[in-house]
Amino acid sequence: MSSNQFTVASPPTDAISALKFSPDPNSTRMVVSSWDKNVYLYDLRDENGAVGEGKLLQKFEHRAPVLDVCFGENENEIYTAGLDWDVRKIDLNTSEQTVMSSHEAGVRNVVYSREHNLIISGSWDSTLHVHRPDAGTNTQSIPSTIPLPSKPFSLSLTPTKLVVAMASRALHIYDLKALALLTAQADSDTADGNKVEIEPWQRRESSLKFMTRCVACMPDDAGYASSSIEGRVAVEWFDPSPESQARKYAFKCHRQTAEDGVDVVYPVNALAFHPIHGTFASGGGDGVVALWDGISKRRIRQYQKYPSSVAALGFSGNGKYLAIAISPGFEDGKDDVPEGVVKIIVKELGETEAKGKGAK
Amino acid sequence: MGKKRRGPTLDELMARPWCYYCERDFDDLKILTLHQKAKHFKCERCGRRLNTAGGLSVHMSQVHKEQLTEIENALPNRSGLDVEIFGMEGVPDDVLQAHQQRVAAQFHQAEAERQAVTGNPPAGSGAGGQPNKKPKLEDFSDLKARLAAHRAKRAEAAAGGSSGEATPLGAGQTVSTPTTYGQPPATASPVHQQQPPVSLTYPPPYGGAAVPATAPYQHQAASPVYPSFSPPGAAPYAPSPVAAAPYAPAYSPQPYLQPAAPMGYGVTPPPFPQQHTPPTDTGLPPRPGSLPTLAGLPQRPAFAAPPINAQQMQQMHMGHPAPPAPAPGYSNGNATQTPGGVSSSVDDLISSAAKEAAAAEKPAKKDKAKNTRMIYSDENVSPEEKMAKLARYAFSRQMFQQETALGEIPGSIVVGTIRDQDKVIDPAH
Repeated sequence: MSSNQFTVASPPTDAISALKFSPDPNSTRMVVSSWDKNVYLYDLRDENGAVGEGKLLQKFEHRAPVLDVCFGENENEIYTAGLDWDVRKIDLNTSEQTVMSSHEAGVRNVVYSREHNLIISGSWDSTLHVHRPDAGTNTQSIPSTIPLPSKPFSLSLTPTKLVVAMASRALHIYDLKALALLTAQADSDTADGNKVEIEPWQRRESSLKFMTRCVACMPDDAGYASSSIEGRVAVEWFDPSPESQARKYAFKCHRQTAEDGVDVVYPVNALAFHPIHGTFASGGGDGVVALWDGISKRRIRQYQKYPSSVAALGFSGNGKYLAIAISPGFEDGKDDVPEGVVKIIVKELGETEAKGKGAK
Repeated sequence: MGKKRRGPTLDELMARPWCYYCERDFDDLKILTLHQKAKHFKCERCGRRLNTAGGLSVHMSQVHKEQLTEIENALPNRSGLDVEIFGMEGVPDDVLQAHQQRVAAQFHQAEAERQAVTGNPPAGSGAGGQPNKKPKLEDFSDLKARLAAHRAKRAEAAAGGSSGEATPLGAGQTVSTPTTYGQPPATASPVHQQQPPVSLTYPPPYGGAAVPATAPYQHQAASPVYPSFSPPGAAPYAPSPVAAAPYAPAYSPQPYLQPAAPMGYGVTPPPFPQQHTPPTDTGLPPRPGSLPTLAGLPQRPAFAAPPINAQQMQQMHMGHPAPPAPAPGYSNGNATQTPGGVSSSVDDLISSAAKEAAAAEKPAKKDKAKNTRMIYSDENVSPEEKMAKLARYAFSRQMFQQETALGEIPGSIVVGTIRDQDKVIDPAH
């Protein structure tokens, strides 16, 4: 009944902060960033091309814990963001690291838009940096800085839009085309530095009452899902028409009733959309991963509880694999990250396992 | 003995599930819940069937942005939303008791009626013979007195002929033949024959407007009771106007009604007129006039107990009187009638039970709402930021400030080569 799953060999030694598959449909490569200051590159296939335990290809040491990682133009190029305030480009073939830009605080997120050839990073200094990939090597190219009203907590991209979820439940949606144009202008006009005031395409307030934990865009560019620390997920659409806005909804998940009848509410740490079916997975502090059909508003399935919090989730480019990063969670009333097992579990999904059920 | 089963026993009737909202009863619980979903918990806007009133209310407010105010197809005093009903669950105790009383009363009534019609003893009881025997034991002087009264009435009737009015009305009824009459009253007899069974069946409808008009021939009306009651052999006393005794069986359900009966006195709520007056004074006098209304009368209100109890229930349990509240009248009744003492003590019991139930319900609901505990509740600082502040992740940018200025890349770092200054700061620094 349960799908084929295996634990990836040689996992990081400390909590995992991010996990990304290569967007290439035929690739089984996966990068994982960790608080142990390393970025790990895995391939699910071994030398013979058979998917087995997964193999650690390389690891890249950083000066400080790494908070996010993403693939670049091809699967030989990754970008990382970390507590050392830097955004880096790493060439996987040569292991060469290039600092793209430096923020004034830890950098929480980094994303790459293949369509517009932009790297966007979000930092706790309440700014976004927008780079072009040749930045760093080309001293003429300086990243543009976009000030934000609050600290960004999560970034997500579609082919045309960028969604930034921030503190104070704020949420900005930027049009990537405008962003690319403006940064190109700012590049040519280096005189007044690199600060770019850009009006977001839409400003929204989160539909959830508590701090936004994660945001993820639908692969069909229609909308996004966001999750909060209070066991809830909201699904919304970009289209500002009242009809589309009326479709938005939120639901509770990742909760457990303790023996004394108290409802224990876990943060929803991770969201990931399936690249083909358009369904999405949510991972919570309770160690549970659930698959949802956002259109028909139904849960497709919920997997067995893992021993520790789910820190990150990722679908492979062809949607065949779901990787689940298990790390001890940072919870209320704990001064230290509890010792726990750090694991990467990869599920091989059945043909229809992540497929929506269709409307009622 | 091969005796034919005459239908459900009282216990079976009592065990039948029934709908709080419309008092209908069903073969089993499943059908009841289906009925409730279809009749009472169906959304009028989209036809969706919900499981409970609360569910429907939430559905209406969330989906249609409307406020549910009352349950559809419910009895007037049952349409409130305050009671959460699912199948038989959630029915307030007092309502439940009232219902059982009514079921029992109806059962006994039907029983009595059948006895009256067939002359059979009640099912499975040796005591069944009593109704037939009892008349025989009646005091002779009593009989005589009644006979006298009867004759007087007859004379009156022959002169005034008020009974004529009643004749056509009773025509449809079938009862035992009047042949056994000793001195059949020419005009009145047909009418009277028919009355007894009817009166037995539906004691409640009697009374009301017709009483004064029919007063003169009440006793006559009563007399023919006998033929219907008794086997043909009982003829001898049939003509006598003494009616009280034979009725006794008919009122066997009386005990059940006791708490309710006083409420009927004095001020009666419109739909349930004076049902219980008859039993107290031999049952007979007030009856005859209302015959015509019989057919149209619904069965259920036969006894006043349920509606009034429900009323009370509404007052005590829901905190506001039901719309057609005969409340003041009912309290009057309590004060003036002797049985009031009994009924009020019962009322007290019921109301206190209802209060207790209500009190028990409320805290339970509150508990549900508040008991949640969030694993991570800091609204402004993300878990990652907190983690970043931990000593083991501490990182001071200043140390690298010069080195990592834009364009100055700290060189490619290959796995395993760690430069000294990349390490965590020395606190002394």
